[in-house]
Amino acid sequence: MKVKIRFFAQFRELLGTDIVVEPSSGTLVSSLIKEITQKNKKGYDAIFDETGKFREFVILMRNGKRLDNSDANKTKILDGDEIAIFPPVAGG
Amino acid sequence: MIAIQTEDVDIGKLINDAKQRGIGAIVVFDGIVRDDDIKEMELEAYQQVAAKELERISANAAKKFNLLSVDIIHRIGRLKVGDNILIIVVGAGHRKEAYEGSRYIIETIKAGVPIWKKELRENGDRWVPGEHQHGSGTGKPR
Repeated sequence: MKVKIRFFAQFRELLGTDIVVEPSSGTLVSSLIKEITQKNKKGYDAIFDETGKFREFVILMRNGKRLDNSDANKTKILDGDEIAIFPPVAGG
Repeated sequence: MIAIQTEDVDIGKLINDAKQRGIGAIVVFDGIVRDDDIKEMELEAYQQVAAKELERISANAAKKFNLLSVDIIHRIGRLKVGDNILIIVVGAGHRKEAYEGSRYIIETIKAGVPIWKKELRENGDRWVPGEHQHGSGTGKPR
């Protein structure tokens, strides 16, 4: 299955964006994000704390809808999903 | 008109176009790039989601404040000091609804629409921190 990962703002600068990956069936959202971010220590540290939990301010979306950070630990990725990871918004 | 775009917009035309039967007040909000010792500002959006959010905010505001017209144009890309960032034109029967509707729209955008700003400075760039640390608009599963 194919999944698109999108980072925005400072996360995008550290990790890139529109990353297409092919995780195995049953992969959790949090596990996939961890796997991708581990390629860049600064990127990983920006998103996860020292215990491996999402930092409080990190916002996740799955297919354009907010996914609670704690739910990312029990939500399985599905084929065609778009996962977005971003810091607090600052428009206007 | 609801849009996220790089181009500027003719605010005078938006005001003229907003004038219609029943309109007694038009309020314009124009957020601009402030001269805070920056060279330029770069704006980025999660465009598909942000556009939908702006549509939703516009519809909610129209219903809540009896607005007869709403235009929201949020610019992205690289902007200079003095450039327009966000233009909101709201038309209503009376000033109270128009002012309140405009305020509701800007505050709701700031709270949750996935758009980010980066200040480009001589001594290093800086991402502008959000006023709502959890991004309250996008912060709750819906």
